[in-house]
Amino acid sequence: MAPSFLFSQFMGGLTTAMFLFLIASGLSLVFGIMRVINFAHGSFYMLGAYLAWQGVQWFHPTGVGFWAASLFAAVAVGVLGAVVERLFFRSLYGREELYQLLFTYALVLILGDVAKFIWGTQQLSVSTPPVLVGSVQIFGSTQPFYNLFMMVIGPAIALAGWLVLNRSGVGRLVRAAQMDREMLDALGANVGTVYTGMFVVSSFLAGLSGALVTPIQSIVPGMDVLIIVQAFIVVVIGGMGSLWGTFWGSVIYGEVLSFGILIFPGFSLFSVFALMAVILIVRPWGLFGRPL
Amino acid sequence: MQLRHCLGLALAVATSVPFAARAADSIKIGFPIPLSGPTAVYGVPILKGAQMAVEQINAAGGVLGRKLEILSRDSKANADEAVRLTRELIIKDSVDFIAGTLTSAEAPAVSTVAKENKIVFLAPSSKSTVLTDEQHIHPYIFRVASNTDVEGLAGAEGMAKYPNVKTIVTIAPDYAYGRDSIAAFIKALKEKAPNMQVVDSQWPKLGEPDFTAFINAMMGKKPDAVYCSLFAGDFVTFVKQATPLGLFKAIDNRMVDGGEVGTPDEAQALGADYPYGIIANSYDPVIWSGGNEPPEHKKFIEDLKKFTNTQYASGWSIMGYEMIEALAEGIKKANSTKSDAVSKALIGMTFDTPVGKRSFSEKSHETFAPEYTGVMVKDPNYPFAVIKDPKPMPTDFKPS
Repeated sequence: MAPSFLFSQFMGGLTTAMFLFLIASGLSLVFGIMRVINFAHGSFYMLGAYLAWQGVQWFHPTGVGFWAASLFAAVAVGVLGAVVERLFFRSLYGREELYQLLFTYALVLILGDVAKFIWGTQQLSVSTPPVLVGSVQIFGSTQPFYNLFMMVIGPAIALAGWLVLNRSGVGRLVRAAQMDREMLDALGANVGTVYTGMFVVSSFLAGLSGALVTPIQSIVPGMDVLIIVQAFIVVVIGGMGSLWGTFWGSVIYGEVLSFGILIFPGFSLFSVFALMAVILIVRPWGLFGRPL
Repeated sequence: MQLRHCLGLALAVATSVPFAARAADSIKIGFPIPLSGPTAVYGVPILKGAQMAVEQINAAGGVLGRKLEILSRDSKANADEAVRLTRELIIKDSVDFIAGTLTSAEAPAVSTVAKENKIVFLAPSSKSTVLTDEQHIHPYIFRVASNTDVEGLAGAEGMAKYPNVKTIVTIAPDYAYGRDSIAAFIKALKEKAPNMQVVDSQWPKLGEPDFTAFINAMMGKKPDAVYCSLFAGDFVTFVKQATPLGLFKAIDNRMVDGGEVGTPDEAQALGADYPYGIIANSYDPVIWSGGNEPPEHKKFIEDLKKFTNTQYASGWSIMGYEMIEALAEGIKKANSTKSDAVSKALIGMTFDTPVGKRSFSEKSHETFAPEYTGVMVKDPNYPFAVIKDPKPMPTDFKPS
C-alpha cells in the first residue's frame, strides 16, 4: 500500500473525527455536568443544518452568506436550547433517567416533524463557501480546503472548552456544579443559571456543527437520529463528560472507521461497533472517563 | 372529565358519520408508505402521484361508476409497521386493495399479508428481485417498478459506452437493494463489456453521513470509472465529499448511477455542484431536454406541477400515478372489485402510462420498466443538471 494512500485514509479519518467531535462535545458536556442524556441533541444539530440552509437563501448564496448563516443557525439553536431548558428540562433534573430519556425522545419526534413541516421532505444542499473551494496536494494526496479548515476548528474548540472549564471563574462554578450541586446551591451560587448556560453552549455547538456540516453533506429528514447514534458511540468510547475524552474518542472512531473499511470492506460499521463493545466490557466508563 | 368525554365522543361521531356515508360506495385502496423519516423524500411524491391519478379518475366518473379513495398510512419505511398497518387497513377499514410501500424491506413483508388475505397488492417502487421471484410470487402481488436485474443491465449498457475503461470500482448502500443491484451489474458487465473489470466494491451503510474513507479507498484502486447505486440524500452527500477529494477529476466524470439520480429531486438539491457528465437515470426525466417529449408526458407534468403546487415536479410521482392507472384498468377489465377477478385481469395486462405502454409479465407480475437514461448536462433553461436526450434503458432486457 502506497504511503500517500495511507495518508489520505488517515486524513479522511481525521475529517470524520472533527465533525463528530463538534457534535459529540455538546452532548458530553451536558451529560458530564448535568447528568442529562439529551437524545434531542441530534435534533438541534439537524435544526442547525436546516437553519443554515435557510440563512444561505436569505443572506446570499455566496461570499459571507455561509458564515453569516452558520452563525445565525448556531445562535438560533442556542436560544432554542435556552427555552427548552427553562421550560422543560428544569423539572427533570434529579428525576429518574427514564423520564429524561422519554422526554428527550419526545423532543426528537416533535422537532423532526417541525423540520419536515417547515422545510419539506426534499433533500437540501448548501455549496462550499467560495474561499474554501478546492484542494491542495499534501504528500501526494488531495486534501480539500474545507476538511483542513475543520481540522483547525475542532482542536480550537476543544482547547477553548478546556481553558474555560479549567482556567476561568465560570469554569470553576461549572466544575463545582458537576461535583456537588446542592452544596454549590447552599453556598449561594445560582446553579440554575449555570445549568441554563451549559445547555445553551451545548445547543450552540450542536447548531454550529449542523451548519458547518452542510457544505459536505445533504440535509435530509432523519439526519438527527443517524448522528445521535454516532455521537453516543464517540462519547462512550471517550468517556461520558470528559471533553478530551470526547476529542480522542472522535479521533479513534474516525481512524478505526477509515482503516477498518480497508480490512473489512464488506462490513464498514463492524470495526467501530466492535471497538465500542470491547471498551464497554473492559472499561465501561470510557477511555478518559471516571467510574461513576 | 365527563364533559370532556362527551365532547370527544360528539366530535368523533360528527367527523366519522359523513366520512363513513361518503366512503360506503367508494373503492378503497389501503396505502402504507413512508411519510416521515429520510425515505419520505420518495414516499410523499409517490403518494401525491397516486392521489392525482385518483382525482383525475374520479373527475371522469370513477371506475365502474364508483369513486376511488386512498387511505394513506405512514409506514416509516419499517417492515413491521407496514405489515401492522396493512392488516389494520384490511380488517378495520375493509379496503378493497393494497397499494404502496416504498422499500424492499416493506414490500416483501406486505406481500405475504396480501397473500394470506387474498387481496391484490401493487408495489410502486421496490426493486429487489426477491419480491416476485419463483419462491415468493403469488396471484395477488404486482410490481410497477423495475427490478435490480433490469437496473444492473442498464448500468452495464451505459458503462459499455465509455471507451478506454478497463477497471471499475462500485459503491452501493449496504442492504438488499444495493447488494442485488451490484451483483446484477457485475453479471451484466461480463456480457456487455467483457474487457472491463470490477476491481473493488465499497459498501457504506444506507444514510451514511461521511463517505470520505470510502472515497479514499476507491481512489486508492485508481479506477477508470465508477458504478454507483447511491441515491437521494446519500448521493448528494457522496458528491459533495467526492468532488473536493478529486474523485470525479480522477475518473474524468466517467460514472454511471442506477439509483434514479437523474431526477430534478437530486439535481435541484446539488445545483451547480452536480457532477455534470455522469450517466444517470430516472423513471421519469420530468424535464425532457432535447425535444422528443411524448405529449402525454408533457400533460402529465403540467398536471402534476399544478396538483403539487411546485415549480419542478418530482421524478417519483409517476410511479404512484402509473400504479393507480394500472389498478383502475384492471378493475375495469375485470368488471369487478373482487381481488381474484382483478388479479386475473392484471396478469399479462398492458396499460398506458405517460411514458408509453407497460405490461405485467405473466410469470413474475412485473413490468420490467426501463428507466430513462442519459448524460447529465447543463441546460440554459434550468439552474440544475438535466438528462440529455433521455432514452429508455436497458434496450434488450429479456426476463430469464
